[in-house]
Amino acid sequence: MVAGGSLDSINRPRSWTSDGVCLPFPWIGAKAKAKHKFFNMKMYAATIEKDVLEPRSRNAYYFRQKVLIILLMTMVSVIPLVGISYFSFQYFKNSWIDRTSVELASLADSRKETIELFLANQNNQLNGLIDQYPAEHLSDQNNLEALFQAVNKSGVITDLDVIDQTGAHLAYVGPFSSQLAGRNYSQADWFAQTMRQGEYTSDIFTGFRGVPHIVVAAANPERTMILRETINLDLFNSLLASAEVGDGGDAFIINRNGEPQTASRLDSTATPFSPQDVSADSGTKVFTTNDYIYSATSLKNGDWVLVLKESMDTLLSEYNSARNKAGALILLAILLIATVATVLTNSIINRIRVADEQRTALNERMREVEKMALVGRLAASVSHEINNPLQIIENQAGWISELLEDEKQGRISDFNEYEDAVEKIRSHVRRAKSITHGLLGFSRVEAAEHEKTDVNQLIAETISFLENKAADNRISITTDLQENLPSIRTDPAQLQQVFLNIVTNAIDAIGHDGSITVGTRTIPGGRMVAEFSDTGHGLPEDIRKKIYEPFFSTKKGENAGLGLSISRNIVQRLGGDIESSNNAQGGSIFQVFLPVEPGSI
Amino acid sequence: MEEPTVLVVDDEEDFVQTLLKRLRRIGVDCDGAYNGIEALDKVSERDFDVVLLDMKLVKEDGNDVLREIKLLRPETEVVILTGHASASAGREGLEHGAFDYLIKPVEFETLHEKLREAGRSRFDTADGRAPEKCKPNS
Repeated sequence: MVAGGSLDSINRPRSWTSDGVCLPFPWIGAKAKAKHKFFNMKMYAATIEKDVLEPRSRNAYYFRQKVLIILLMTMVSVIPLVGISYFSFQYFKNSWIDRTSVELASLADSRKETIELFLANQNNQLNGLIDQYPAEHLSDQNNLEALFQAVNKSGVITDLDVIDQTGAHLAYVGPFSSQLAGRNYSQADWFAQTMRQGEYTSDIFTGFRGVPHIVVAAANPERTMILRETINLDLFNSLLASAEVGDGGDAFIINRNGEPQTASRLDSTATPFSPQDVSADSGTKVFTTNDYIYSATSLKNGDWVLVLKESMDTLLSEYNSARNKAGALILLAILLIATVATVLTNSIINRIRVADEQRTALNERMREVEKMALVGRLAASVSHEINNPLQIIENQAGWISELLEDEKQGRISDFNEYEDAVEKIRSHVRRAKSITHGLLGFSRVEAAEHEKTDVNQLIAETISFLENKAADNRISITTDLQENLPSIRTDPAQLQQVFLNIVTNAIDAIGHDGSITVGTRTIPGGRMVAEFSDTGHGLPEDIRKKIYEPFFSTKKGENAGLGLSISRNIVQRLGGDIESSNNAQGGSIFQVFLPVEPGSI
Repeated sequence: MEEPTVLVVDDEEDFVQTLLKRLRRIGVDCDGAYNGIEALDKVSERDFDVVLLDMKLVKEDGNDVLREIKLLRPETEVVILTGHASASAGREGLEHGAFDYLIKPVEFETLHEKLREAGRSRFDTADGRAPEKCKPNS
């Protein structure tokens, strides 16, 4: 209650968290702080991605992606295409062969019918003759000749022969009378057969006549006479020749033992099957090999086999040509598919790659921004904390200084040392203060106070602050300020800070003996620019971008390097920007762009 | 010009103690408090001319304490001390009734001058009344 009061120094254990919440026990506080930081850090870490691909492997990665996709697209298109085509063509081929087989079989049937009819006809004719004319009549040479003329209107019969039961000629009409004179057939196989069965058709044989022929014979019911005729082989052959079996095809007759009965167009009567496979009961059979289709049917009650043969090549020629054309088209299609797949994939993957790279770049920027934000927050947090101890240091130092004042100089040895030391402490507290205040200015987020400002006046003021320093270094500052420069709505205090910073930098850049020119003018687009040009050492290309980074400084010593980063921050928040370049004399130019309100005076 | 009576409110003991010593050395009648509750106790017991209030108090929000003080003693001027080197914290305090604000670290001379300024202002607005000295329960 008394002035001065008594103060108990209350010592309580305290612990602090970054929020300023006081907790009674240090370890709880520490835990809470750790948890708090943990969650915060996690949030930051989640937004910071690590870009995984190295540039070298990036090329390989995209190449591989392209190759995989192209292969996949091509396969998916080509395999069904080829598969379907193949199976279609197989099916078509098989059905073509099947159809041809049926046609060939039916052709064989029709030929068979004709041949059998013919043979039957010849037989009937013979039997008719026997029935109609008595043996004696037939045995007469002249009668036979007349009959021969009558029955051979078609020229089918080569000769006509009458033989008695002993095997001796009775009469003969034909070209081979000289060869046959005096021959006896009683030993001949055909003779016995005819006598036995009453009729007979031979295979081809080369008998007494030395010429391949076929013989049809019939005996009378009394078996006292045989009438025999030889049939023109050529005519028979032409029957077969007219069978439409196409190029490379054939039609011939073979007997049970495979011996050819007629001429073969291709000089081959080999068959992939045995003649015994085809009998009177089995009907017409079809056999296929790689080269031919055969249709075979039995003739003469199974004694002979009629074989029609078609060449696969001929048969399939159309199919083959169609297939080859299709094949060429498919190849073309594959090429087209592959090309389109490649072009498309290339384009898409390239675009993806560009997007990826942009995303990486963006992530980089994000990281930078977040780093900066983090730094800002850290800086602010640290500064706040430091300001308190600074205050106390300042207080204590000031207290010592005041106490020293009360002391008599002589009573303390090294009195001056104490005084100096205390003054140094206070001076460095001021220095620390400027740093923390600078850092906090850097991370300041609140709105500036805007008022109508005459920039020219602001500049003039700024220059006046630094006049002495400039003059000391023999640096002249000249101005080229646009008259009637409109007032702008901005924060004069902060803007002045910016101008101070720039001019100070210019002075430092020059060192001694130089000049600084400051100009203002409005520029199109509703803006104005304040230009600061100096004759200093200028800005090398590599540092021109870096000068706005916080903590960057080319000056050794106390400068924390925050000035330009803060200045740019300020100007940007005022709606403008700072640009820097080099002038003709090798010094630097700093341009501060600011928006001018429309309608300002 | 007489020195104003001052209450120093700050949670840093070292600061409060040394500041009180320095103020007393130059004849300022003053007392200290380490937190908002203590401050309000002392303000209600005695009518200080000026309260020097640190905004960063551990237990309470500086603005709350400021408001309470102004409610208790509307005519007591409050000078706030803030570690934020930003105008917003200061302005917020002004809105809540502070006389002015200072940003740490502040030198003693500056601080003292501001306290005197606040004291004068109180004197000026107090309808010509002379500043009261320490009186219990006033």
